[in-house]
Amino acid sequence: MSGTVFDIVLCALILGAALAAVSGRDPFAAVVFFVVYGVFIATAWLRLDAVNVALAEAAIGAGLTGVLLLGAVGRLARLRETAPPARAAGPRLLAALAAGGTTLLLGWVFLTLPEPAGLHAEVGANLAAAGSENAVTAVLLNFRAWDTLLESIVLLAALIGIWALSPDAAWGGRPGMTQRTRAGGVLAQFGRVLPPIGLMVGVYLVWAGTKQPGGAFQGGTVLAAVALLAMMAGRIAPPRVSAPGLRLALILGPAVFLAVGLAALAAGRFLWLPPEHAYALILGIEAALTVSIAATLALMVIGPPQEAP
Amino acid sequence: MTGWFLAAATLLLLTLAGALWRVWTGPGRADRMMAAQLVGTGGVAVVLLLAAATDWAMIDVALVLALLAAFAAVAFVKAETPEGRGDPEDDDA
Repeated sequence: MSGTVFDIVLCALILGAALAAVSGRDPFAAVVFFVVYGVFIATAWLRLDAVNVALAEAAIGAGLTGVLLLGAVGRLARLRETAPPARAAGPRLLAALAAGGTTLLLGWVFLTLPEPAGLHAEVGANLAAAGSENAVTAVLLNFRAWDTLLESIVLLAALIGIWALSPDAAWGGRPGMTQRTRAGGVLAQFGRVLPPIGLMVGVYLVWAGTKQPGGAFQGGTVLAAVALLAMMAGRIAPPRVSAPGLRLALILGPAVFLAVGLAALAAGRFLWLPPEHAYALILGIEAALTVSIAATLALMVIGPPQEAP
Repeated sequence: MTGWFLAAATLLLLTLAGALWRVWTGPGRADRMMAAQLVGTGGVAVVLLLAAATDWAMIDVALVLALLAAFAAVAFVKAETPEGRGDPEDDDA
């Protein structure tokens, strides 16, 4: 009973935040509503018993994306000082119609699809041989390893796309703007206090991922946030995009994943994990993936190099 | 007990509706951001109550929310202050 009331209130808040985000005139208010929306969506995933997804949403939706969008709003404001934007109703109406149409189509598909039987039984039956007690990790890194391998490569491709936007003169420099902070100020202090805690939480999430909700994506996102915080607080400078160590960190995850997959090919099946070594292999792949995901996400948020090296 | 936890979580959600109203009316950017921070804090409390009501594995979500909610505030002060210094004390200098 009280569960139903909770769900209704939560749905109302989600809808309210979503409508306010798309209908607001002020881009800054829209971004704040988007961050708030992320918190509510994470709670909704918990109500659906999808703790892994809730973790990812809390880290990416309410955390990293907010930072990315706040940076974008700041940039837009600076651009508008030179060129005022044209406020045409046509494109907005078109976008609203396209988005509304997609929503209706999705709703129609969802309501007309037959009730899926799901793969719970099959996953549960094979969990003992998968090397992970967390069913989601078992699916991501063992049963559907192919998807996860390609996803990690997609992240890399996205970063290359962002780097391609850097001016020629800035290539090889440090990504993002130069960060300035007053020594001994609040932000510099914050940059000292929070990273150790965040580092521990990030590593914990990866380690816990083999037994309970967590994993490389969630842990990697937290670690990326920690790295970004240390950079924004001026504690560390972002590495140059041409630094060999950085390049190595970026490809470590996909490379280890691919190497394990190819080694299994020698035994006859690509990306197959032998049950007796599955736990160690999954932990190894997750650790390598975490390094790459953390480095890639942090660099994606901080942006392409802007100033000549 | 589960019913009480969920009832308390519902009450907390209703207080967050107040925060939503503050994000909408503003008027300043800092007002909106502080309201978002309130939603982050309230969200941590809601998640903890849900964890107590259903599954303790959920407290990790509260941990991540608590850590990353503060992060948006840092990005905000960086974007608001000239040259991105992000130090409120600079206003007095």
